[in-house]
Amino acid sequence: MLFCLKVKKNNSELHEVRVYNEEVELEDRDPQQDYMLYKDTCADLAKLMAEIQELKSSGAKSVEIEERHRQCSVHFITLKKLNRLAHMRLKKGRDQTHEAKQRVDVLHLQLQNLLYEVMHLQKEISKCLEFKSQHEEIELVSEEEFFQEAPAEISRPHVTRDDNHQLTLARLDWELEQRKRLAEQYKMSLARKEKIQKAIEQKREYLSSLQPGLQNIMQASLPVQEYLSMPFEQMQKQAEVARHLPPPLYVLLVQAAAYGQACDKTLSVNISGDVDEAKALSRRPEDSQEDESDSDAEEEQQNTKRRRATVGVQLEDKRKAMLRRHPLSLCVDLKCKDGSVLHLFFYYLMNLNILTVKTKVSTATDLSGAVSAGELLNSESLLNCLYASDHGKETPNPANRYQFDKVGITTFADYVSDLGHPYVWVQKLGGLQFSSDGAQNVIFALSASHMEKTMKLLRGRLQARLALHKQFSSLEHSIIPVSSECQHLFPAKVVSGLTRWTMMSYQEFTHVLKAGLVCETDLFFMAVVERGTARLLAAVVLNPRYPEVMPLFSLSLHWKGERSGRTEDNLRAMESEVNVFRAELQGPRPGLQLLTNQIQRLCVCLDVYLETESQVCDGSEGPREFPREKMCLRTARGPSRLKPFKYNHPQGFFSHR
Amino acid sequence: MSVFSQSFSPCGRFLAAGNNYGEIALFSLSAALSPDASEGSQKPILNFTAHDGPVFSLLSTDTHLLSAGNGEISAWSWAELIKKFIDLMLFFSIFSQDNSLIVGGGDNNIHIMDMETGIFKSVLKGHTDYIHCLCFKEREEEILSGGEDGAVRIWDSRTNRPVHCIEVFKYEECARPQFGKWISCLATDSDWMLCGGGPSLSLWHLRSMSPTSVFPLPGCQREAVFHQDLIMSVGEGPYVSHCLHGGTVKAQIPCTPSSLNTLALNLKNTEHRVMTVGGSSHQIDVFTNFSYRAFSLSF
Repeated sequence: MLFCLKVKKNNSELHEVRVYNEEVELEDRDPQQDYMLYKDTCADLAKLMAEIQELKSSGAKSVEIEERHRQCSVHFITLKKLNRLAHMRLKKGRDQTHEAKQRVDVLHLQLQNLLYEVMHLQKEISKCLEFKSQHEEIELVSEEEFFQEAPAEISRPHVTRDDNHQLTLARLDWELEQRKRLAEQYKMSLARKEKIQKAIEQKREYLSSLQPGLQNIMQASLPVQEYLSMPFEQMQKQAEVARHLPPPLYVLLVQAAAYGQACDKTLSVNISGDVDEAKALSRRPEDSQEDESDSDAEEEQQNTKRRRATVGVQLEDKRKAMLRRHPLSLCVDLKCKDGSVLHLFFYYLMNLNILTVKTKVSTATDLSGAVSAGELLNSESLLNCLYASDHGKETPNPANRYQFDKVGITTFADYVSDLGHPYVWVQKLGGLQFSSDGAQNVIFALSASHMEKTMKLLRGRLQARLALHKQFSSLEHSIIPVSSECQHLFPAKVVSGLTRWTMMSYQEFTHVLKAGLVCETDLFFMAVVERGTARLLAAVVLNPRYPEVMPLFSLSLHWKGERSGRTEDNLRAMESEVNVFRAELQGPRPGLQLLTNQIQRLCVCLDVYLETESQVCDGSEGPREFPREKMCLRTARGPSRLKPFKYNHPQGFFSHR
Repeated sequence: MSVFSQSFSPCGRFLAAGNNYGEIALFSLSAALSPDASEGSQKPILNFTAHDGPVFSLLSTDTHLLSAGNGEISAWSWAELIKKFIDLMLFFSIFSQDNSLIVGGGDNNIHIMDMETGIFKSVLKGHTDYIHCLCFKEREEEILSGGEDGAVRIWDSRTNRPVHCIEVFKYEECARPQFGKWISCLATDSDWMLCGGGPSLSLWHLRSMSPTSVFPLPGCQREAVFHQDLIMSVGEGPYVSHCLHGGTVKAQIPCTPSSLNTLALNLKNTEHRVMTVGGSSHQIDVFTNFSYRAFSLSF
């Protein structure tokens, strides 16, 4: 087909250009026909070729061959055209297919989009359906309450009663409203709190500014306190420190202070020691003990593996740890009328759970001069046997035995001089009671019940020892100090006199006498009384609990031979005269004259003995050494012919008992 | 403590001892002598304070125990306790015979009292110093008394008159002037008499009134008894002396107290036939066989 293209040129001429468009031709031709044509053409060609061949082989005319060539060429052209057409058809077909495909693709795409969108929408829908609105988590007030409380513009009952959605919305509104209100309140309260806080701070500052002022006042008031003897400051400080005391010491402090306030103004209690250490101790008491035992175990293990030589050192350390004292200690002072003071220092051994005591005596006057009295105020033995048989050498806590075995301590007595004496009365004052089943409780009542008695005994002990000290210094000067209240026990004239007063040791005493009445804790003395050629040796046993327990005298006389209380009845009677009659000899309370009265009576008895001895004989011997000066009713009585040793006052004669 | 006197009960099963504090203790001999005796059976079963002063003398009658203290005689029923008071100063010896009690006193006289009525029947005067000891001769019914004045007086109990007076210290064999003249022990056995004290212990024949033998005992004797063929005496020195009539000291048995005041023989009871001695000690020695000390009771 020909098409006309109109080409516009510059000189505006319109040319017609004819274009041959074969494609349009395609639509008109039938492919089947074309195919037949092709077959025909091919057949013609084949035929012509064959003819050419034939002609060529036969040598035919080139015109026919050319004719045939021309026909072949035509056929070739037809074939070419057919080829072209076929190609064109193919192309067209392809194009059509392509187009259709494209159309289908577009549609497919659209479909997919739509499907995708549908899915998306479905998801959205399901999401929406699953959506849990936060409003459901809010606890709303119940509907009744809501309708009751909410104002009408929020609750809108006419709408909300029918419509759930509206109801919920209304309720949410109401909730919001309420919350807003509460938030307001909260803010206000916060603001108030802040204000109050500030006010408190101010006041605190004010108070702390007062503190220095108060301190000054306290300091200034100290002299006033002392003047009025109301030591509040001291007591407060003491109470502060007392909180860190271990329980037994605390009990002792409380009871002693109470007793001092109530009954005995001369008793005072102080706490001494390191408070910080005590605080450190009280902070972790169990830990430290566990640590000790753990570290002990570890150390032991290590040691047995490595070196054996230091086991002793380890043991020593363990012992020291076991015998550790609490850093705080109590000091109790007992003042006596003559100005001397008995200081008692109480310590608490933590691991052994016992109390120990050390003593010190400070006297108003200087107490030197009495050689024999050296032992009397010795702090080691001053408090021996305050109660009978309370020697204070062994620990009264039966559980300690097992502890000692672990660290190889055989007896506590070795450590007593270091650590103090664990007397039973000390434990009782601290409220520690060690009954046989080992129950140990800190008991206030125990301390209270023993306090008074023990304090009295302590004071009595100190006074007795001081009195003895004075008496000894005069005894050593051969003067028997007899007080005026006791003069009535003795006649006016006593000729025998004390010439010597010395101390003896326990071993020397056992040579002199074997009796079951003495023990190692007693004090031993030797007194010598003389008259003329007669010498009376008296071994004296002084129990630590003098003057509750009478001193005992054992006599032996050196005069014309040696006689002793073992062998002669009269000396025995003298011994009983001096040893037995406590009620007469002890003098006025508290009986501190006992020893001196006994010695004086001994002199009197010696006088009687010597003077009546010569009476026995008929007097045919010559001048008697000791003339009779005493008045006696009878000089001998009874089968044992005892002498009259009893002095009767005020008649002044001697008789038998 | 010194034990001054002892006395056995009528049945012989108990021993009463008196000490210088005025206490009387009762010991059960049957318990102490039984085979399973323990420490406890040597302690007194009863201990009471009878007098203010020492109990120098104890005497047993059939029903009563008589004790002499300072100024009083007390009679204790062996079953119950009864007291009778007599106010005389000191007594050193009591002796009973047919219901009359013969008391030698510190007032230098001898008093005879009727025990049933408690009335003093008579007084025998003669001594110049207090009386230490008394004894009774049953056959002739004579009372012998020895005193501080060194005289042994013999009295007739029916007529209450002095019969004889022997001043022992005047006899040279017996006299020991270094001790004194007092007579502190007396014992009779029909014709024989023992006396001693300041002078040595001597055996006298009463008919001839002369000493037949003198015993060389060092201390002063405080009590002596006749027992079968022996004479046993105690005094100063921690032993019991066994002597023969001839004048020899056969044995000296040691005992606990350093000097002895009293010796008693329990002859009434054959089961508990013992000798007990007491003196200047709280222990009373018991001799089951008279040759050695068996055990001691403690007062």
